[in-house]
Amino acid sequence: MAASDALLRLRYRFVPDRLFGELLTKSWIDNVIPALALVATVLIMVWIIPGFVSVGTFSDLARQLSEFGLVALALTIVILSGGIDLSVGSMFALCVLAALVSMNVLGLPVGVALAATLATGLVCGLLNGVLIGYLRLRAFITTLVTLVIYRALYDIIFPRVASAIVGSMPVSPTWDLIGFGSFRGVPVSFIIFVLIAVGAHIVLSRLRPGWRLRAVGGARRSAYNAGINVKLTVCLAYVASGVLTATAAFLFSARLGSTGADTGIGMEIAVLTAVVLGGVSLGGGRGSVGNAVIGSVLVLILTSGLIRLSMPGSVNQLILGLVLIAAVLFDAKWVKNRGKLLNKVYISPTYLKLAEQTTRGEQDVLAVNDRLGATQLIGLGQVEGPEDVVLDRDDNLYTGTRHGTIVRFLAPDYARSEVFARIGGHPLGLAFAPNGDLLTCVGGMGVYRVAPDGKVAKVTDETNRSLLSVIDDSRLRLPDDLDVAPDGRIFFSEATIRYEMSEWAVDALEGRGNGRLICHDPKTGSTRTVLRGLIFPNGVTICRDGQSLLFAETWACRINRYWFDGPNKGKLEIFLDNLPGYPDNLNRGSDGTYWIALLGMRTRTFDLAMRKPAFRRRMARRIAADEWMFPNINRGCVLRVSASGEIIDALWDKAGENHPSITSTCEHKGWLYLGGVSNNRIGRVRIEGADPEWTSQGDYWGRR
Amino acid sequence: MRLLKTTRWLAVACIALTGIVTASAQDKGLENPRSTTFRKTLEGKKVVFLPLSMGFDLTEGWAAVMRQQAKRLNYSFEIRDPAWSTDAGTKALQSLISEKPDLIVAHNPDIQSYARLLAQAQAAGIKVVQINLESNTQTDSYVGADWTEIGEQAAQAVVDKCSPGKGVSTKVAIDTGVPTAASDVFQLDGIYRVLNQHPDIQVVSQQATEYNPEKARSIMDTVLQQHPDLCGAIGIWDNQDTGTASAIQQAGKGSQVFLVTSGGGNKVGCENVENGLFNLYISYNVPLQGEILNAEIARLLLSDSSAGETKTLYFNPLTQITKANVNQRNCWTLDDLK
Amino acid sequence: MSEATANPGPRLPTLLKSQEGIVLALAVLAFALFSFLLPSFFSAGNLLALVRSVSILGILALGMALVVIARGIDVSLIATMVVSVSWAFVIARSGYSLEFALLIGALFAVTAGVLIGSLIAFGEVAPIFATLAAGSVIYGLGRTFFFTLEMQNVPPGAGWFSLIGKGRILGVPVTVVAFAALCLVLHLVLSRTRFGWQIYAMGNNPAAAKITGIAYRPMVVAQYAISALIAYGAGLILASSASAINARLFNSTMIYDILLVVVLGGIGLNGGHGKVRNVILGTVFVGILLNGMTIMNIDYTIQNLVKGVVLLLAIVIDSLVNPRDEQTSQQGDL
Repeated sequence: MAASDALLRLRYRFVPDRLFGELLTKSWIDNVIPALALVATVLIMVWIIPGFVSVGTFSDLARQLSEFGLVALALTIVILSGGIDLSVGSMFALCVLAALVSMNVLGLPVGVALAATLATGLVCGLLNGVLIGYLRLRAFITTLVTLVIYRALYDIIFPRVASAIVGSMPVSPTWDLIGFGSFRGVPVSFIIFVLIAVGAHIVLSRLRPGWRLRAVGGARRSAYNAGINVKLTVCLAYVASGVLTATAAFLFSARLGSTGADTGIGMEIAVLTAVVLGGVSLGGGRGSVGNAVIGSVLVLILTSGLIRLSMPGSVNQLILGLVLIAAVLFDAKWVKNRGKLLNKVYISPTYLKLAEQTTRGEQDVLAVNDRLGATQLIGLGQVEGPEDVVLDRDDNLYTGTRHGTIVRFLAPDYARSEVFARIGGHPLGLAFAPNGDLLTCVGGMGVYRVAPDGKVAKVTDETNRSLLSVIDDSRLRLPDDLDVAPDGRIFFSEATIRYEMSEWAVDALEGRGNGRLICHDPKTGSTRTVLRGLIFPNGVTICRDGQSLLFAETWACRINRYWFDGPNKGKLEIFLDNLPGYPDNLNRGSDGTYWIALLGMRTRTFDLAMRKPAFRRRMARRIAADEWMFPNINRGCVLRVSASGEIIDALWDKAGENHPSITSTCEHKGWLYLGGVSNNRIGRVRIEGADPEWTSQGDYWGRR
Repeated sequence: MRLLKTTRWLAVACIALTGIVTASAQDKGLENPRSTTFRKTLEGKKVVFLPLSMGFDLTEGWAAVMRQQAKRLNYSFEIRDPAWSTDAGTKALQSLISEKPDLIVAHNPDIQSYARLLAQAQAAGIKVVQINLESNTQTDSYVGADWTEIGEQAAQAVVDKCSPGKGVSTKVAIDTGVPTAASDVFQLDGIYRVLNQHPDIQVVSQQATEYNPEKARSIMDTVLQQHPDLCGAIGIWDNQDTGTASAIQQAGKGSQVFLVTSGGGNKVGCENVENGLFNLYISYNVPLQGEILNAEIARLLLSDSSAGETKTLYFNPLTQITKANVNQRNCWTLDDLK
Repeated sequence: MSEATANPGPRLPTLLKSQEGIVLALAVLAFALFSFLLPSFFSAGNLLALVRSVSILGILALGMALVVIARGIDVSLIATMVVSVSWAFVIARSGYSLEFALLIGALFAVTAGVLIGSLIAFGEVAPIFATLAAGSVIYGLGRTFFFTLEMQNVPPGAGWFSLIGKGRILGVPVTVVAFAALCLVLHLVLSRTRFGWQIYAMGNNPAAAKITGIAYRPMVVAQYAISALIAYGAGLILASSASAINARLFNSTMIYDILLVVVLGGIGLNGGHGKVRNVILGTVFVGILLNGMTIMNIDYTIQNLVKGVVLLLAIVIDSLVNPRDEQTSQQGDL
């Protein structure tokens, strides 16, 4: 049993199950599959075709890519805008004609020829753009018709100039350089392509026009309602498509110096295949330059490889068709199931063994009593989710609410309340800085500061990113509680980096150290992670020695002590282990004691479940979330412990009416104030024999 | 039992072998050094055929004939099939240039698309033979039909039938393929060379059918509606002209309209001559072209001159097939060639 | 357009506002113009030839329309058509009876349709891509394994077969009769049967159709199987009338022509509306244009240009008369 447990522990310690789910959350994962397909294709080609890896192959490929890839980019832009451009092939042919007529027939300089080619593409694209953007025609049918029209134009003009084009070869070093030249072995046309692709990537992913384009493609109506000029954006997408196609045509003309009757025929299908293979989603908004390039390379390698294998054309068609089916099938299933899969595999439970609890007798200090049964209620029904409560020097009571505000209840009777500050997120831990500012950890946002006049300012919302974490852990997801050291440094806990505020309880199913302790130094403005791998670190409180702090690890049911200063600096030891429940916030009490709020009591079944990770994994995968077994966070109590870590008192609400689950306590002038994250009230109860003058503020910063 | 049989066979084989050995010991003959070099030089060479597309009678026929010789003389023969796409063809040609086979047999989609690349291939030391459809670049060799001649023959035949007084009228229709294709351009030139000498012949329709028989049928249908007294029709390719012929048959004008077409002399074309769909079928004889190709391939592979040094061309003879001379000798099936 | 379909019998003003009406007006105009200018245009013989020349296009368009009304699209029609017919011919030439071979061809077409339909229904792939890829696969499959030569002549010795394309019933070509019959059947199916109503329901609102208990996936499979079978039928007529079938049709722009006929006639690609009369209208309009221009001996390339420009005009006028609104247009509606 012990051996198998040890084995289990090792297995869950060293096998990084969670990575799979975390990888799935990445947005670039969409590109990984096409990229892997590309790598596989290349490997297969290298394996089958002798001499596939050669300078010749790659310079061929580079030249083809520069033309094909540009058209793929053109189509990608249009698809991103939520449309489609079937006329690229015919446009391409017309532009080739423009370039060749300019160069070969009219003998114009290269610059003028380029301008003429681009102008041709621009006009064609503009026609599409005006029709689809401004006249609101349907993209599919419109570009189908312009495909026919542009093609007919080509067929009409081409025979008339064909012999003239072949008749003369232009003498232009620049033209030849674009066509055949290479720079350090890299074809010039490829360099041109790379420059354009990088530029397009920057525009699409970093600049406003690109964002607008994606917005229009992703949610046209919303984009319109948000004030984006949808018509112009759509129109420009087609213009860009025309110009990019023209550029490709220019490179093509320079390379071949001629054109055939079927130039550009079927190109739209090949390019569409490439773009879809690369992962651009038809329907708009999803896709990137990278997708287009990956898809293009894939299709080019596949086609040229198959031709080199001397496959009959029909086999090529068969294989390309099958690949396209596989790609679209995968895309359809991927888009549909990625979220489901993520939900299923993201939760990654691990082994957590809690010490056996001793059975409690009637006389035990932990015996259930009803001392919280008759609390005075404050703000019943006015506050939702008062996770933490704190009092200022004027005895006013502060608490955060789920609505994103900090509410102040006014002394002495706390009957009146006002919104002290609006934060925007749910304020969790609260603490006063020595200068009277109220500091708060806001779930999903970071650490904020509220000046006495109610002005809100951000303290910090990020820390240093850990090197090997797949999840970007530099942003604060769930800062939970904080306290201020004598020198003004703010120590705060972040409960978990894997879950959002709304699903914090799910972290309990994992039992892994997903949380951390972070320190913000206002003097330098820096925020650094101090300790990582903590099991839902929750309450933080600075010890009276000013050199160490106590913090609770909720699911591990223990309180740790950490020295951040002094001779023991860096030391971490367990202050109180094997608690009967899940500790939440810690606060100082009078007489050198500490208050611990337990948000729920442990149960044997859940303790057992924590030793059975496979069970919890099955549960998370197979049954609906509201059927899951969660730790008991419905019924807790308040503990008082001595400075040496001995439980000396326990306060219960026997009936469970007012304060079944308690997440924070605050002792103030002989009263104990109680908050609960799922409660709709604050309570206070008189503590017998407590110093009626003791306040937390005084204990920290001295009496005024 | 089995063992016994094997031994017996072995014995017989031994005796036979001894016989052969003793026989050759008596008369070893004379080694032909030219035959040895011929075979040695050709062995292991690489020939690549770049057709317009596989899958139709012409290219399949040539390929079959060329493959036979390659097998006989032990050189490799590969086909790069661009399936009617000029773009795929240029890509294939480009990758061939870097692959450097010994010889390329190119079938041009039009007179210019491959022109530049064929010159590049020759510059890279690859010998190039063009088959049936030539490009603007003259290469080491061209084997194929003279399209102008086909056009002239076709036009002459129609003129003979439709000159004033000979037919119901002097109206003639022309069905072309794809207007930019090389065969069309040259053939039309040939047709009009003849027709221009006979101004009384009236061309009432000249339409492109995209090699599509159904389209050819529908065009001829309309033409016959407009000109019920049509006398002659010239089609550019037998494959498409089955449609033209159907339209004529259907209108019940099989005896009135004289249909001339041309093709590779495939059995299917001959069948159509036999059952009266085609009145005259000008064949450029694919098996013959294949044999000439083979000779050219061997000659070029053996020759010491570098690619592009000497340029030859050969227009192969044409056969006019009519109902009178349709026979096995003029027609072929793919199975014959394999 | 929605107004026109909402009314049970579209009155003239509403009809004129719809794309259907616009195309109708254009068709009448072209017809009048050609009849006036071209002496031989308005004759029974030529009009029959006109309808006949486009009836195969029309038959294929009927198959396409069925799928489009249910918010699908089938660009694999041509591939299915050429491969199934060519294969049937090859089988017949290899010694089996033509009837048996044709049965095999029909089976192949239906199988192809069922597979495509399954890919769309169960694989949930966008129809345009599923059929695009499937077309490639079917053609590649056929050319690689079933027949080498692209051109397949009608097998000799089956007189009745050539009657399909060449025969006449009461002076009307069988092709035209077949087109008319199919129009009638499809019209009855679409307007009188549950199958037809469910197709409209699926096109109008797929999600609602699923919820209300329509056997959505089998219906999708059935549609593509039917359209494949129609394509096979069109292929037989085509092969019979031209005495041969050319597999290269797959590489031609014929599929675009079919789509144009469907859309031009007024069947929106976003499904849910459209009737058989729309297909007839589109087919006849294209027929009038092509026939008139062929009579005028206009160059083929210029015919294409004219065709394209007229089509563009039709959809532009439609969008000017029925402007689409940002607020009502559907997402991903191509």
